[in-house]
Amino acid sequence: MAELWEVLSEHLPEFSSGLWVTIRLVAFSFVIAMVVGTLVAALRVAPLGPLNWIGGVFVETFRNTPLLVLLFVSFAGLRRAGVPIDPWVAGTASLGLYTAAYVAEALRSGVFAVGRGQIEASLSLGLDYPRTLRYVVLPQAFRTVIPHLGSLTIAMIKNSAIIGVSLLALPDLLHQARLVNSRTFATNESFFWAAAGYLLLTGLATLAVRRLEARYAIRR
Amino acid sequence: MGGPQGPADELDAARSGIATLARPLVELRDVRKSFGDNVVLTGINLEIERGAALVIAGPSGSGKSTLLRCINGLEPIDSGEIRFEGRPIDYSGKALASLRTEIVMVFQQFNLFPHMTVLDNIVLGPVKAKGVPREEADRRARALLERVGIPEKTDDYPADLSGGQQQRVAIARALAMEPKLMLFDEPTSALDPEMIREVLDVMRDLAREGMTMVVVTHEMGFAREVCDRIVFIDNGEIVEQGPPDEFFRAAQSPRAREFVDKIIHH
Repeated sequence: MAELWEVLSEHLPEFSSGLWVTIRLVAFSFVIAMVVGTLVAALRVAPLGPLNWIGGVFVETFRNTPLLVLLFVSFAGLRRAGVPIDPWVAGTASLGLYTAAYVAEALRSGVFAVGRGQIEASLSLGLDYPRTLRYVVLPQAFRTVIPHLGSLTIAMIKNSAIIGVSLLALPDLLHQARLVNSRTFATNESFFWAAAGYLLLTGLATLAVRRLEARYAIRR
Repeated sequence: MGGPQGPADELDAARSGIATLARPLVELRDVRKSFGDNVVLTGINLEIERGAALVIAGPSGSGKSTLLRCINGLEPIDSGEIRFEGRPIDYSGKALASLRTEIVMVFQQFNLFPHMTVLDNIVLGPVKAKGVPREEADRRARALLERVGIPEKTDDYPADLSGGQQQRVAIARALAMEPKLMLFDEPTSALDPEMIREVLDVMRDLAREGMTMVVVTHEMGFAREVCDRIVFIDNGEIVEQGPPDEFFRAAQSPRAREFVDKIIHH
C-alpha cells in the first residue's frame, strides 16, 4: 500500500502530464466526432440517394476498420506516402472519425425515433428540408440519444489509450504509465494509477451525461 | 415587342389582377392519387372560394385526409392539376416551402414540437421560413395566444398542456404564418369530449372573421353551424356538395343520405 502512494508521489509529473495529454486528445477527438458524426447523420437521412451513399461509405469505412489500423494508416501510411503528418493530427483524426461513425449511427436511430408528424408539421410551416432537420428533427434526435452518446464518449476515452502505446507514441496517460513501469518495475502500481486516471475521466463524463439528460430530456 | 404600351399595359395588369381575385383561391381538376394498387382519389374536381369555410365529410378511408394533404403538397398527386391563386402547384422543394407559408395545416395529433416552449413553437415558422424579426414574431405570438385563450402558457412545454390547449397552440402556430388558407385534418378527433368545444369555438371565430378554411371532421354540429358548404366524399370521389342545411335535410345521393342517417341516429 505504501508503495502505491510512493510511485504516485515520485512520478507525479509523468502521471499528471500524461493525464493532461489524454484530456486534450479526448477533447479534440470529441469535437471531431460530434461535428462529423452530425454531418454524416444528416447525409444519411437526406432525401437524396447520392448523399445517403456518401454517408454510408463513411460509416462503413470507419466503423469496420480497427482503430489501431486507422492509426497506422493515418500516421505511418501517410508519412511513407510523403505527407509529413503530425502525430497529434493523426491521433485525434483517427479517434475522432472512428467515433464519428458510431455517433452518426446513434443520431440516425434518434432521427428515426422522431415521428413522421413532426416532420410534416415543420414542412407545413414552410420550413424546407434542411431547416426541418436543423430545428425540428436533429434537436429531438440529440435529446433522444444522449445516453447512447454518453456511452460512445466513455468508449472513446478508453480507446484513446491505444494512441499512446501505438507507433504514434503520444505521451498520454498509458504511455507515461509504461515509462514509469519500465523505470521502477512497479507494474501493478504504475498501471493502477493509469486506470485511476481513466476512471476519473469516464466518471466525469458519466456525471456530465446525467446532467445533460436531466436538462434536455423530452417529456412527451 | 415589349415597347412602351403605357396605359394598355397597366390596364392588362389590372385586368389580370382582378381576374386572379375573381378566381377561386384553390381549384382542383381531375385530381387522382393512388398508394400502390390502392386508388384513394379518383378524379376530384373542387373549387375553394376566398373566405369560404368548407367541411369535408365522409366515411373513414374515403380519401378525405389525402385530399387535404394533396392541397398543401404533403402528398404529390398522380395526375390532374391543383391551382392555388390560379397557378399550378410547383412540386420543387423551394416552391413547395413557399406555398406552405400560405397554406397551413392543423393536424389531428397536434404535432407540436415537444422540445420547444409554446412561444418557440409559434415563432419557428415566421422567423425561420418567412424571415420575420424575432421580436415582432414574439409580439404577434403573444397576441395569438391571447386570441386562442391561453396567454398564460407562453413559456410552458407542450407536455404541460391539455389536449385542447395543445390544439389551440397548434392553431395559433398556423395563424402566425398569416396564411391565405387553413387546412384542418380532423382537429378534434384526438380530444376528450370536454375539450372539443374549446377548439371548435376558436375555429368558428376564424370562419366568421373570413378565414378561408377546409376542415375534415366528423363534428356535424360544427358543419351545420359554421361551414358554407359540405363536400361529401366516398370511395375517393366527391359524391355530393352543397350548403349544410340542404345536405342534412335533403341529400340527393343514396350514399350521402345513408351517411346523414347514420350520424344523426348514432
